Amino acid sequence: MAVAAGVPTLPAVVEELLSEMAAAVRDGAPISDEHLLSLKFVFGSSAVQALDLVDRKSITLISSPSGRRVYQVLGSSGKTYTCLASCHYCSCPAFAFSVLRKGDSLLCKHLLAVYLSQVLGTCQQLSVSDKQLTDLLMERTQDA
Amino acid sequence: MAETLRRVLNSGSAAGPAEESTAEAGPPLLLLGGPGSGKTALLFAAALETAGEGQGPVLFLTRRPLQSLPRGTRAALEPLRLQKIRFQYPPSTLELLRLLCSAHEARGAAPSLLLLDGLEEYLTEDLGPQEAAYLAALLVDTAAHFSHQGGPGQGCGLIVALQTQEEGDSGDAQPLALLQRYFPAQCWLQPNASGPGQHCLRACLEPGGLEPRAEWWVTFQPDGEMTVTQWPTQAGDTGSHKGSSSEGQS
Repeated sequence: MAVAAGVPTLPAVVEELLSEMAAAVRDGAPISDEHLLSLKFVFGSSAVQALDLVDRKSITLISSPSGRRVYQVLGSSGKTYTCLASCHYCSCPAFAFSVLRKGDSLLCKHLLAVYLSQVLGTCQQLSVSDKQLTDLLMERTQDA
Repeated sequence: MAETLRRVLNSGSAAGPAEESTAEAGPPLLLLGGPGSGKTALLFAAALETAGEGQGPVLFLTRRPLQSLPRGTRAALEPLRLQKIRFQYPPSTLELLRLLCSAHEARGAAPSLLLLDGLEEYLTEDLGPQEAAYLAALLVDTAAHFSHQGGPGQGCGLIVALQTQEEGDSGDAQPLALLQRYFPAQCWLQPNASGPGQHCLRACLEPGGLEPRAEWWVTFQPDGEMTVTQWPTQAGDTGSHKGSSSEGQS
C-alpha cells in the first residue's frame, strides 16, 4: 500500500508481489517461501542481500517536522546511502551503473530493502530538524 | 500533470470543452522542444491557469528572469493571478539543488504547481548521470513534499521544460532516457510550416500510463500572441504513422 505511493515506478508484477506480502504481514502470517522465491526470481541475488539488510535493521526512515521524509540505508560495507521516499533514487554506485546507465536492473538492493522494510514494518525511525534534513539531502551533492 | 497542460491547450481552442479542474496533480511532465518553440510561453500559461483555480501559489524556477511576459491565450494577465506566481532564479546547478533540498524549510502555503524552465542550463557537462538523476529525482521529491504539505485534494504538479538538441545534431539520448524515468508524461513541441511572420508548432501530449495521446497546433503571431487549435484528426488517431514519426525524432 505504502509502496511507491504516487508515482508508479515499479512494474505491476512487483507491485503485486509487494502488496501480497504486505497483506500477509497484516494478517500476522510469516513471509511464505513462495514469496521469497518470487523475490529471488525477479531480483536475483539482490533479493537475498536486501532481506539481509532488513534483518539487520539497516533501514532508517528520517523525517523532519515539515513532514518531508528520506530513507537512509546502512550498506554491508558500512557506507550509508540515501534513498528518496517519493521516487526511485539511491545514491549507491550500483544504482548509477546497473539501473541508470545499463538499465538491466529495476532496483538496487538498498531500494529493495526500503520497500521490503515498508512491507514488513521494520523501518527504524529518526526525527531530525528541518535544517538537518536539508543538510542530509545536500550531502549527496557535495561529493559530486 | 498532463491535465493542466491539456486545459491550457484546450482553453485556446473552440473545440475544447471547458474541463473541470481536477485536484489530481498527475505524473510529472517533461516539456520538450527546440530553441524558441514556445516552452516558456506554455509554462507561463500553465502557471496562470493554476493560479486562477483557487489553489495555492505557483513556484516558477528559471535561471534567467523572463524578458517579457508571454502573452497567454486568454491574454488575461490578471494581477491577482500574477501575484500568486513566485519566481526564483537559481544561478547555478548547486543553487538549484540547494533550493530543492531545503524546500521544506520554506514557510507559507505549499505550492500547487512547481515549474522549472530551461533544465538544460542546469544539466552541465560536469554533471554525471547520477547527479542528473538526483536533480530530476529531487524535483519529483520536492513536488511530492508540497503535495503532502497541501493535504488531500491539494496535490502539487510538476512541469519541467527541457530544450532538445537542434535537428541534425545527433546528441546522445542518454540524458533524455534518464529524465524519462522521472517524468512519465511528456509533451513534444515540434516546428511545423511557418507562415510569414508567424511561427507554427505541433504540440504532442503523451500523458503516460493508459491515457491517449493528444495533439494541438500552436501558432505564435508576430506580436507574440499564442493561438491554439486542436489537431483535427485526434479522434481517428492513426497511431502507427504518428508513432513512428515522433520516435524518429526523439
